[in-house]
Amino acid sequence: MSRPSPDHRPATTPSGRPRRSVPGSGLAKGLAVTLRTMTRKSVTAQYPDAQPELPPRSRGVIGLFEENCTVCMLCARECPDWCIYIDSHKETIPAATPGGRERSRNVLDRFAIDFALCMYCGICIEVCPFDALFWSPEFEYAETDIRDLTHERDKLREWMWTVPAPPALDPGAEEPKELAAARKTTEKLATAAQPESQPPAQSKPQPPAQPESERPDRAESQRPARTESERPARGGATEPGEGES
Amino acid sequence: MNDVLDVTLRLLVVFVVFLTFPLIIGQTEHKVMAHMQGRLGPMYAGGFHGWAQLVADGVKFAQKEDVVPAGADRRIFQLAPAVALLPYLLVLLAIPIGPGEGAVGEVVDAGVFFVLAVMGVGVLGSLMAGWASANKFSLLGGLRTAAQLLAYELPMLLAAASVAMAAGTVSLPGILDAFEWWWLPWQIVGAIVFFVAGLAELQRPPFDMPVADSEIIFGAYTEYTGLRFALFLLAEYAGIVVLCGLTTVLFLGGWHGPWGADGLGWVWTLLKTAILAFVVIWLRVTYPRLREDQLQKLSWTLLVPLSLAQIALTGVVKVVIQ
Amino acid sequence: MTLSTAMATAAHTMTSTAHTTTAAADTPGFLSPTGVEIAFLLVGLVTFGAAIVTVTTRQLVHAALWLVATLGGLAVEYLLLTAEFIAWVQVLIYVGSVVVLLLFGLMLTKAPIGRSPDADSGNRWAALTVAVASAAALIWVVVDAFRTTWIDLDGAAAGSTEVTGKALFQNWVLPFEALSVLLLAALVGAIVLSRKAKADAAATSASRPGGRSEKEGAR
Repeated sequence: MSRPSPDHRPATTPSGRPRRSVPGSGLAKGLAVTLRTMTRKSVTAQYPDAQPELPPRSRGVIGLFEENCTVCMLCARECPDWCIYIDSHKETIPAATPGGRERSRNVLDRFAIDFALCMYCGICIEVCPFDALFWSPEFEYAETDIRDLTHERDKLREWMWTVPAPPALDPGAEEPKELAAARKTTEKLATAAQPESQPPAQSKPQPPAQPESERPDRAESQRPARTESERPARGGATEPGEGES
Repeated sequence: MNDVLDVTLRLLVVFVVFLTFPLIIGQTEHKVMAHMQGRLGPMYAGGFHGWAQLVADGVKFAQKEDVVPAGADRRIFQLAPAVALLPYLLVLLAIPIGPGEGAVGEVVDAGVFFVLAVMGVGVLGSLMAGWASANKFSLLGGLRTAAQLLAYELPMLLAAASVAMAAGTVSLPGILDAFEWWWLPWQIVGAIVFFVAGLAELQRPPFDMPVADSEIIFGAYTEYTGLRFALFLLAEYAGIVVLCGLTTVLFLGGWHGPWGADGLGWVWTLLKTAILAFVVIWLRVTYPRLREDQLQKLSWTLLVPLSLAQIALTGVVKVVIQ
Repeated sequence: MTLSTAMATAAHTMTSTAHTTTAAADTPGFLSPTGVEIAFLLVGLVTFGAAIVTVTTRQLVHAALWLVATLGGLAVEYLLLTAEFIAWVQVLIYVGSVVVLLLFGLMLTKAPIGRSPDADSGNRWAALTVAVASAAALIWVVVDAFRTTWIDLDGAAAGSTEVTGKALFQNWVLPFEALSVLLLAALVGAIVLSRKAKADAAATSASRPGGRSEKEGAR
């Protein structure tokens, strides 16, 4: 039974087991842990009295920025539990220029999300190509009637105002695409007005055309403008699920 | 007339202590346990840090229906909480909190025997409840209670006997009169044995195998509801008061303190009792529940030999200093 | 067994009752009893009743609990006779430990909540005869022995811890030691019996192939 202790210290137990710490030190350690925890600040959040400090990307509720919605139905299709209801109709816009073609556009009649069904996966927000849906950290919308959890268009718009501003870009990050596009447009217009000036702006490489949903880095004021400027460009894009019918 | 008034007053004081101290300890347990687990504990009842939580609990218990199971032994089932609770009230009578005749409910000649005997009777309540509930969990709880009592009564008695030997008396005020500060290191083993065995007798965690709520659903108290259940809970906390008070009196010198002995002795007693009660809570939060065989093993192979060794040491020292 | 013990206990109580009522007053006699004597008598009656119920009830656990009442009543009687030490030891040993052991044993059996149909031993009359005989003998002996002595309830306690201890370790030290040796013998016997049973179990389990060895079982 006289097994040498692995660390070559004298064995404390007669049975030859490796030297261990003082008997009861484990018990004392346990007591120390609880005592130390007691002296520290407790982690309990006193929620109804004090609002929790939620991170900006908390998935509380989904807000709808209606102006950006093209009724493409992508969100409703991708929704895993089918909790998005969209109704729309088509309107014809008379030609903007004389002799031009009439255009048709979709007008949203109903946009509702049933939060009793929603599982907060965020797929609808990810797939929305026009940044019409946003996460808001608001979470206190419990209802006594389950039917009231179906938030209609106006309510979803109300949530929109609770969406926090996107976090600032990292220093030295690439310019946001909308800004770049807007700047380019103005530059193009400027060059059209003054053909000799500013050739380097034209030679700047075109931003990649892949649809990227980097929406939080867009300023609030950019949204409607971008929609107006991008919608025709995207109209013939390659998105297979874009239900423009 | 004066005697009658005196006795009535003493009984009243003891009764008030009996009703308030367990609640104070219960509330302390709520808060201390919460903070040791990084929580806040009750915060609403009463306004200030939930001080009235146990009052609210009492009101809740009083409102609940008092259910007696159909298959139960009615009388014994209903009697059990009283049997569990009353002994602690009696024990409280005999614990001196200050020097002199005035600071004890009733001077009992064989005080040590009295308190230990009556504390042992309290366990009968759990046994009655366990048997009369007609519930297998309760029966298991009762069995475990009995086994635990049999195992831990012996070391507790032996540890108390050691102090009685040292003091040369079995009267609690007598023991305190004979107390010297160096008894503390002399009787420290006995003190630990007494305290641990007392915890086990009260079925406090980590010795709460008989009531193990996660496996036998509070053991003997499974079928109890409402006020009767509250009485069992009150008995547990009154038991903590009694155990801490007894340990203070027997081993920690009761009203003796480094200073302020005259007139403020009772403060020392209460302070020591409160610290011990904190330790009871601390141990509960820190350690996991001992398994039944570990429980028995701890008593028979560790506490009993330790207490016997303490008695031997006490005897040797006693003979040497005489 | 239980019947005769309890009867003897009850008889003992009666004996004490008789003995004190004749002895406690300044002038021994049954007339003009004091309050303590009346209390003693009443408690004695209750204790006697509890003892009777202990041996006659058909519910086993009730019998054990009535035994608690009987033993507690006896402790009260001791208290009334100023034998405080004996009283608390009675509670500690009998109520606190013996009855708990008894209840522990009962819980291990299939004792039903209600009446046990087979609680009667069939030796009812034999037991009663033995009990009455022993009770009569006890009464006779005790009355004969203590006829002319009485306890002074007003003076210093005759049964305090100090007095009891002095009596036990000065006059009666030899019987006391003999009794401890007896208990020690009982202890050793119990250990031997349990160890033997364990060894037998080990042998049988070892001889059975594939059986759990005793070492494993003990772990």
